[in-house]
Amino acid sequence: MVQLTINGKQIEVPEGTTVLRAAAQAGITIPTLCDHKELTPYGGCRLCIVEVQGFRVPIASCTLPATQGMVVSTETEALKKSRKFVLSMLFSERNHFCPFCQVSGGDCELQNAAYHEEMTHWPMQPGWNNYPVDSTHPYFVLDNNRCILCRRCVRACGELAGNFTLSVAERGAASIIIADTNVPLGESTCIKCGTCVQVCPTGALIDRTSAYQGNEAQITPVKSVCVGCSVGCSVNLLVRDNRLVRIEGDWTGPVNHGLLCEHGRYDPMTESRQRITSPLVRKNGQLEPVSWDEALGAVADKLKPLAGDAHTGVAAIASTRLPVETLSMFKELFAGEFKAHIVTSTEEGMTTAAVFAVAERMGAFEGKLDVLRTADLTLCLGADIVNSHMVAGFLIKRALPKGMRLVSINPQAGVLEDLADLALVNQPGSDLSLVEGLKAIIVKEGLGRTPLALPNAARLIEEAVRATGIPLEKLTQAARMLAGAISPVILFGKGITAQRSEHLIESLHSLAILVGAVERERAGLISMKGEANSTAAALLGLDAPFVLNGQQAVFAAIGDDYVSGRLVKRLVKAPYLVVQAAYQSKLTEQADVVLPVSTWAEQEGHYINLDGRVQKAEKVLTGPEAVRDSTAVLGEIAMRMNMPVRADWQQAIRERKPSMALN
Amino acid sequence: MTQIAEKRGLSDIVQTAVEKHGATPDAFIPILLEINRENGYIPAEAIRLARKFLHQPEEHVLVSEGQLYGLASFYHMLNTGVVGRHVVQFCESAPCHVQGARDLWKSVQSTLNLKAGETDPQGRFTLKTVSCLGLCGVGPVMVVDEDVYGNVTPDQLPEIFAKYE
Amino acid sequence: MKFHRSMVLVSMDADSLRKDAGAVYERFQQELSAFGLNDEIALSQIVEVGRHDILPMVIVYPEACAYGPVSSDDARRIVEEHLYKGRVVEDLLAPVKELSGRIGWLKSRKGAAPMEKRIVTRRAGRIDPENIEEYISEEGYQALAKALGTPAPQVMEELEKSGLQGRGGAGFPTGRKWRFVAGTKSPKKYVVCNADESEPGTFKDRVIIEGDPHSIIEAMAIAGYCVGADEGYIYVRGEYQLAQRRLERAIEQARAFGLLGKNIMDSGFNFNIHVHSGAGAYVCGEETALLESIEGKRGEPRARPPYPTTHGLWGKPTLVNNVETLANVPPIILNGAGWYRTFGTSSSTGTKAYTLLGNINFRGLIEVPMGITLREVIGIYGQGMKGGATFKLAQTGGSSGSIIPASLQDTPMDFESFRKAGVSLGSGALLVCDESTCVVDLAVALMKFFKFESCGKCTPCRVGTERALRILTGISQGKGKQADLDTLIALAAEMEFASNCGLGQTAAVPIRDTLKHFRAEVEAHILLGVCPSGVCEMSAELQTA
Repeated sequence: MVQLTINGKQIEVPEGTTVLRAAAQAGITIPTLCDHKELTPYGGCRLCIVEVQGFRVPIASCTLPATQGMVVSTETEALKKSRKFVLSMLFSERNHFCPFCQVSGGDCELQNAAYHEEMTHWPMQPGWNNYPVDSTHPYFVLDNNRCILCRRCVRACGELAGNFTLSVAERGAASIIIADTNVPLGESTCIKCGTCVQVCPTGALIDRTSAYQGNEAQITPVKSVCVGCSVGCSVNLLVRDNRLVRIEGDWTGPVNHGLLCEHGRYDPMTESRQRITSPLVRKNGQLEPVSWDEALGAVADKLKPLAGDAHTGVAAIASTRLPVETLSMFKELFAGEFKAHIVTSTEEGMTTAAVFAVAERMGAFEGKLDVLRTADLTLCLGADIVNSHMVAGFLIKRALPKGMRLVSINPQAGVLEDLADLALVNQPGSDLSLVEGLKAIIVKEGLGRTPLALPNAARLIEEAVRATGIPLEKLTQAARMLAGAISPVILFGKGITAQRSEHLIESLHSLAILVGAVERERAGLISMKGEANSTAAALLGLDAPFVLNGQQAVFAAIGDDYVSGRLVKRLVKAPYLVVQAAYQSKLTEQADVVLPVSTWAEQEGHYINLDGRVQKAEKVLTGPEAVRDSTAVLGEIAMRMNMPVRADWQQAIRERKPSMALN
Repeated sequence: MTQIAEKRGLSDIVQTAVEKHGATPDAFIPILLEINRENGYIPAEAIRLARKFLHQPEEHVLVSEGQLYGLASFYHMLNTGVVGRHVVQFCESAPCHVQGARDLWKSVQSTLNLKAGETDPQGRFTLKTVSCLGLCGVGPVMVVDEDVYGNVTPDQLPEIFAKYE
Repeated sequence: MKFHRSMVLVSMDADSLRKDAGAVYERFQQELSAFGLNDEIALSQIVEVGRHDILPMVIVYPEACAYGPVSSDDARRIVEEHLYKGRVVEDLLAPVKELSGRIGWLKSRKGAAPMEKRIVTRRAGRIDPENIEEYISEEGYQALAKALGTPAPQVMEELEKSGLQGRGGAGFPTGRKWRFVAGTKSPKKYVVCNADESEPGTFKDRVIIEGDPHSIIEAMAIAGYCVGADEGYIYVRGEYQLAQRRLERAIEQARAFGLLGKNIMDSGFNFNIHVHSGAGAYVCGEETALLESIEGKRGEPRARPPYPTTHGLWGKPTLVNNVETLANVPPIILNGAGWYRTFGTSSSTGTKAYTLLGNINFRGLIEVPMGITLREVIGIYGQGMKGGATFKLAQTGGSSGSIIPASLQDTPMDFESFRKAGVSLGSGALLVCDESTCVVDLAVALMKFFKFESCGKCTPCRVGTERALRILTGISQGKGKQADLDTLIALAAEMEFASNCGLGQTAAVPIRDTLKHFRAEVEAHILLGVCPSGVCEMSAELQTA
């Protein structure tokens, strides 16, 4: 800890704290524009300069580490005058005429700073330089005319998303924000995560979907969780008049730390699927709108006689994007009361079955994504992580410039090739040989961190080379990199888990122990799950393959999920199909009864992400009048059939051993 | 046909530059300088190639196109746009300015019929202004390609430019 | 133009006039006529020399003898003895008293013409820079040998005692900087030579490198030994192709001779040097921008603290020294601090290399002891104003340097005196301008440079240079308003106050100085629509009141 004095106030802060943060802790506000708490301090805007005893010139407080005995002043006449002048310089630099700007009136930090400094006019004529507005991007607009060159966007693009698309070109007054080699943003390597928009203090980067729909003062932000994939990013949903205006990453989010990907931020904003607004029942071959009473009656009439008929009765399938409340009720109803043989999820345990089966014997062995923060090497097996779990991909990408090594081995060519220090392609189905081979090389070279007896190492290596098609030299390189790392992490994806091989998972686990990825408290072995509630579905045992074999009816709880063509095809032959969904799809088209339900934002629910965090999504919108909560619909069906359901999801998910600690 | 030959040439230039200076961050600027020297300017394609060649597992060098372009456009000796066959660099710093460059600059612009930063339609000359070249002892100074001209007077200009086709 | 063999300056400021300096001046006029010396000896007046105790004061050049206090009767003796017979009148000499250090130089040069003293440029042009053997035969690498046989703290102590100050412009004591770096605990440190000489009008470093590249290599090796670094970078500005080639060749030869590399001279000391080319950015002369540039980034100066001495290249403790500074090191190590202190003044020791430019008869590089005055430099080394024109102003230290009006010509050029006079010594460029130079036109040229070279990181510099240029251009075209001057003054003040690095902090110095010393001339552009020097094309229509 160091003690310093700011404006006569004694403050104690941990070593390494900047003066700006120290002041904030003591309740002293120092205005700033280029600083952002998630970004490396830059010291460019010069609004936060302070006077420090013993220094000839004032110093930017955002970059200045507090030191013992430092005496700082933030409100001298000279500083106040300077702040105002620097602000007026910014206002005169480019076009900052508020009336036409989408962020003015609350969201603009430049405007807010001017109010704070009691600026009443601009003492200098504006520059009148015009910059072209780049509107080639599907989600946002880059307007250099509004830019104050704080570089928050550039830093966010590199430091947070690890993408490094945005950059500053030219220099001095001609400086300009560009993408790649000065190409239009829409044609660039931008991965559309929108982090740059979220950090922009002015209207230089604005969101197309939310532009001119209201600013902070008119919008209620609600903390919730994204259901785009199993990473489980915390979001702030900005809602106005029962309409979603914008989705922002929650900087306090335990998994994503403020980041979101294209899907999380923009998919819900650009939803184009047709909403189902009334229950439908097939009459004379046509789906016709009916009352809830009629629809539920039809379902109950059809299903009731099938209850207890395990094999030829009902088959039930639920989306892993549904909240755990719905999934739990679904399981209780169909596996419990109906005693149906086939009760599973749309993922059919592809990403979880083998992992949970192993956990059944070994206990929890998977780690938390947090390990990536300290990892010096990540091995990705059968996982195209930057595309399948984008935000987890950001956590890897942004660690690369800081020295983390990345090794990817995947049967598909090109996966992570651009980023990985070593990207290898193995023959499909050769993963077990691959993992055994890596272990054998490490053991043979005596590089293991823990003892492992492998008498047949030579044969295993030979087998690995033969089966994977990877030359020995490259395998050895991968093995050495892995063994040489101090805190390695192994991530594996669907390419591994879909094989449903417990043996393969166990082999991976022993590799993780051998190289110290799993060691004492540290668990650096994680499987990348599927959709938002993949883990919950697995905990509820909804992870069996879905194979229709003489069942007389199928109940598909889709919620607001997308429906795969494969599922549609498999259900074509269902004699009777009940679909509970929010949106029209090929599946609802072929249903006999369609029950319209809420989307994720219209109902409260819990989600368990891939590393075991139980998180709550809030109800922020009210759905169309005839639409009902997906859990409630199941409850009503149960009621109509006199089937008692307890609906205690917290108890239900404890019936199976998790593969990771839940929290 | 010629275009393919040119493309290959660029790839060779970039690869040679990376091999010569090494795939390390402190080689970025030397590599760009070399590409600029060999190719006259640094097209976007060269930046893409440089990024590719720089990405070597042993070195763990990660650099994006944006970062390289940011460099290329920051440093004045690096050109990100096409330049003419000959580049005229005119020193517009104060020492040359008071030693006669004020009038000479007007003559240069009118003789070449170009303004600063422009290239003539025939692609013969690109006119650039530069900051002090450290040759103020013989100012005003003008550099055409690699040839330095000191104590230049307006009447010498036609003769000087005639040497470059 | 007419050459005078001597020049007599009589102090004629208010203080002196009160003490009858007018009579002294008149007496000099009479006596010079009486002895028939009017054609050989120039008589002139000076003001404010900082020695209030000896007024009226008379200085005789080229000997630079200061007499004072001088009475009318003394004038006759000085003319007869000194100017006619060539003998310094010892008993009339002003007592040597270093009140402000301003005229301390008199002590070392009493009665003798100020000499060019070459230390850093002593070999340039005399030896073959591509042949290490010629360097070695001229005491080359002897200082390194001596240093390697001496404990490092002792070497640094000698350097500190010598009083050597950084020649990059700031004048920080070199020995102290070395000790800072030596005192850091890090297994890896760097020595970086700043050869990004980009200050307009400065080319001393180029001359040193092109003429004597080994002196830099030797100095860097000594520095590496002292601070505990095993790797060095020489950052040479991109335009200096020949300098780069010479350095690369010199490094190759030094390596072949075992003067670089492993276990140098069997001392167990290892040292290697890379030559790193700049690519055209003035701001990279700022040491932290230079480090960024080596690291393959845009040359944007870092925030400080932390300083390079603790967090430098790749985050490691780094010693950054200018070429001229380093070139001073081997002779100091070899000849001792005492020898070095015999040059210059007690507060600014040694010599300083200057580049003389502008409207003077001789343009080029000189190396003279610290403390020489501008008038001496122009009169003696510059061989006077070109075409006999009148001195109007000089700019010291390149574009960001101070504008010195005629009234400050007699301030000794050393760190302390300049600091007191509010003038920066800077990089050693001396741009001398005569009456044909318009201060507004010059300010436009300077600001154009800064606008072009600002890196754009911080607001005051990025916007300030652009705004200032716009306003100055307007004034030069006759579109200026009186209020523009207030804006310029405010801009200059904030740029100096709030900018991140030296570029922004000093970019407005020329504006500030121009408005301080030549405000009337600037106002003539605005109020009368006239460029008194006839330089600016006042294109705009005059506004009638």
